[in-house]
Amino acid sequence: MITREDVENIAILSKLFVPEDEMDSLTKSMQEIVSFADTINNADTEGIEFDNINNLSNVFREDTVKESLPSKDILKNAPEQAEDHFLVRNHA
Amino acid sequence: MGYIEKIQSMLTHGEITCVELTKKYLNAIETANSQLNAYVKITPETALDTAKKVDEKIARGESLLPLEGVPMTLKDNISTCGIETTCCSKILSGYTPIYDAKVWEILKAQNAVLLGKTNMDEFAMGSSSETSCFGGAANPFNTDHVSGGSSGGVASAVSADIAVFGLGSDTGGSIRQPASFCGIVGLKPTYGAVSRYGLIAYASSLDQIGPITKTVEDASVVYDAISIKDGNDSTSVGSKEKTFDTLDSDIKGLKIGIAREYLEGIRDDVKEAVLKAAKKYEEMGAEIVYFDFPALKYALPVYYILACAEASSNLGRYDGIRFGYKTEHYNGTHDMICKTRSEGFGEEVKRRILLGTYVLSAGYYDAYYKKAQNLRGTIIKAFDDVFKDVDVILAPTVPMTAFKKGQATSDPVETYLTDICTVPINIAGLPSVSLPCGFNSKGMPIGMQIIGGKFNEAKILNAAYKYEQACPENFKDTKWGVKL
Repeated sequence: MITREDVENIAILSKLFVPEDEMDSLTKSMQEIVSFADTINNADTEGIEFDNINNLSNVFREDTVKESLPSKDILKNAPEQAEDHFLVRNHA
Repeated sequence: MGYIEKIQSMLTHGEITCVELTKKYLNAIETANSQLNAYVKITPETALDTAKKVDEKIARGESLLPLEGVPMTLKDNISTCGIETTCCSKILSGYTPIYDAKVWEILKAQNAVLLGKTNMDEFAMGSSSETSCFGGAANPFNTDHVSGGSSGGVASAVSADIAVFGLGSDTGGSIRQPASFCGIVGLKPTYGAVSRYGLIAYASSLDQIGPITKTVEDASVVYDAISIKDGNDSTSVGSKEKTFDTLDSDIKGLKIGIAREYLEGIRDDVKEAVLKAAKKYEEMGAEIVYFDFPALKYALPVYYILACAEASSNLGRYDGIRFGYKTEHYNGTHDMICKTRSEGFGEEVKRRILLGTYVLSAGYYDAYYKKAQNLRGTIIKAFDDVFKDVDVILAPTVPMTAFKKGQATSDPVETYLTDICTVPINIAGLPSVSLPCGFNSKGMPIGMQIIGGKFNEAKILNAAYKYEQACPENFKDTKWGVKL
């Protein structure tokens, strides 16, 4: 059974804050979903594995040089940028 | 005749110019969208610029490419260079892609007329479009009902004739379910048939782009145009045959399978409509074969485990640093990232990230993720075995008709159960087309899906086409939009 502490830990791993007043309802809905997922526990999967849908294997393309997107364009979408870099401040 | 062919014939015969046609659609959007909320962004300048180019081409006497001059829309998770693409999430507000998705690159090169971007559940997670940060899209058959999800905006727009066709994405039913709710056609292609390059990822091993249209012929034309192998998507395969060439082939002797499990737990009116369609197929010379499909009971939990696991990984990129929303006040980088994500993502997205992180975390990985992956193999093998005996499978698309607004959001597990008929197809990577097969007593559309073996799009579209020809009464116009 998934506990409130579990949800707190998963939230840290997920880099999400869960407000205190939403914790109980979230734990409850997570419990319901996980117990629903538990129905697979008894399934027999002996000898069966899955890799990818169309059984593709990796192939190497020619190592040719192609033009990259201009960094000026890429930075247009950044909330903050400085000197051709993404800007990350420690405080704001 | 499909709407695409009809429009191109009108354009080339000089009955209407592409600019006039485009203006008609833009005006119709202006009238209808306040009630339908199908479009989240309208792009009149792009549309009219393209339309002018098409008119010039016609004036020069040049012949048109398959989708040239056709007014259409894209779901808001398909990247459009220079046009805001938000996935209907606050976290991507203001994000303007600097490259085109492969599918849009193809359509743009054909001068398809982009009217705008359409509404969807946030990051394609949902069955009603109501998790959109713009609010849900309404059903053109009754605006008190949802249009479905997650490609609810595309379905609403096409059903309401404020777009001739649209491209949606289908991770667990997101093309077929809204098509079913809105009484139109939706094709989820074989995994790998259409490039996912530039589709903002939800669950990469399940996501697939496909057309939403009013007729089977239109779905075939659009699918043929976009199913091209693409070097920018490592899972891209493309398609080997053009589906359009074999539309209207005889279906005498076609073996159509119906899984008994697929008829359990669905509403009586839906079951009745699907069985009536099966009867129609028999009259046309097809053979109906019933079979057991016990692996189906694992499909939903397998789907939600795998989809959430992949989502938790894919959505790790939203950190407030490179694009999109960023929180205003913070103390340190960890605090900034957590606040950005907590403020930027909606409730359902956060729930799925948390669930995905849980099933991937140490101690639970083997019990959930690994087990679900193995079961995915079981479900694929079960489908393979079925297709040794039948040509296509007939099934309901959704166990019910479109629900009323506000009903989907209350209970997550209950809402997930509505995906029971659609998710097995994504798990197995199969193609499936949803098409209308009747109406309930309140006039809401009922949909059925025809499922094929991998890369058998031609076979399922032909079977769908034959039904459409035999039962045109199930393909109804709504009161909205442009009547050609």
